[in-house]
Amino acid sequence: MARIIDARGLACPQPVILTKKALAEYSDIVVLVDDPVALENVKRLAASERCTIEEDRDGREFRIRITRGDSCTLAESVIPHEGPVVVVIGSDTVGRGEEELGTVLMKSFLHTLTEASKKPEVMVFFNTGVKLTTQGSEVLEDLDALSNTGVRILVCGTCLNYFGLKDKIASGTVSNMYDIVETMLTAGRIIHI
Amino acid sequence: MSDGPYQVLLFESVSAALLAEKILKKRGVPHKLIPIPRHLSSDCGVCIRIRESALQQALEPLEGRVKVSATHTLSQT
Repeated sequence: MARIIDARGLACPQPVILTKKALAEYSDIVVLVDDPVALENVKRLAASERCTIEEDRDGREFRIRITRGDSCTLAESVIPHEGPVVVVIGSDTVGRGEEELGTVLMKSFLHTLTEASKKPEVMVFFNTGVKLTTQGSEVLEDLDALSNTGVRILVCGTCLNYFGLKDKIASGTVSNMYDIVETMLTAGRIIHI
Repeated sequence: MSDGPYQVLLFESVSAALLAEKILKKRGVPHKLIPIPRHLSSDCGVCIRIRESALQQALEPLEGRVKVSATHTLSQT
């Protein structure tokens, strides 16, 4: 008898987390979802665990039967971590080596981020990265656009102070190491540029 | 950001795009260096986005200095 996991109406990544938990306990489960994205995510999880997948559609609902054989292993890495996505920008250029190129890549990166459908919850600017947030920066338009869509922009106060830029900040909030560390420790994922 | 319409200028190399950017900056022509939109090229290149109304203003100073390999209208952003 398959264990039923009702994940209908739940937001991502809940269906995947529930499936993952259920698979740790039961070898035969049926997951109910009502969202095509959840369906794909749950199937991908099951596939990555090398489980057998059968899928049924009933109107707007999907029924995914997942059966775990002997070869089905639970890898820790597929658990989507809960918590906000944090992008840390520790320099005003991307990568090391050629400064001119790094500047171009940073502009490209931030522009692309403004167009991404899933944006980070928080962005943290450190070291020379803080120069991107101050007057005269060429990416202020992008940072403002990100900020307007709800991205929190934290700018390292010590860094601004070091460069004498504290009164030149044009985008984001001056922050301190306490806030920044707390943000990092509670993050679901940290992307370091 | 989405208050187009925009045109993008494509170049033969990243350095050509950078040279064009320098020229436009010097001339005070409003522009933005952006990654080449995916539907135009799968290369990881950069191009220059300008407002359609500023197209001539942008092309004129580049003439004879940087070769613009193509221009495209951007339907969005």
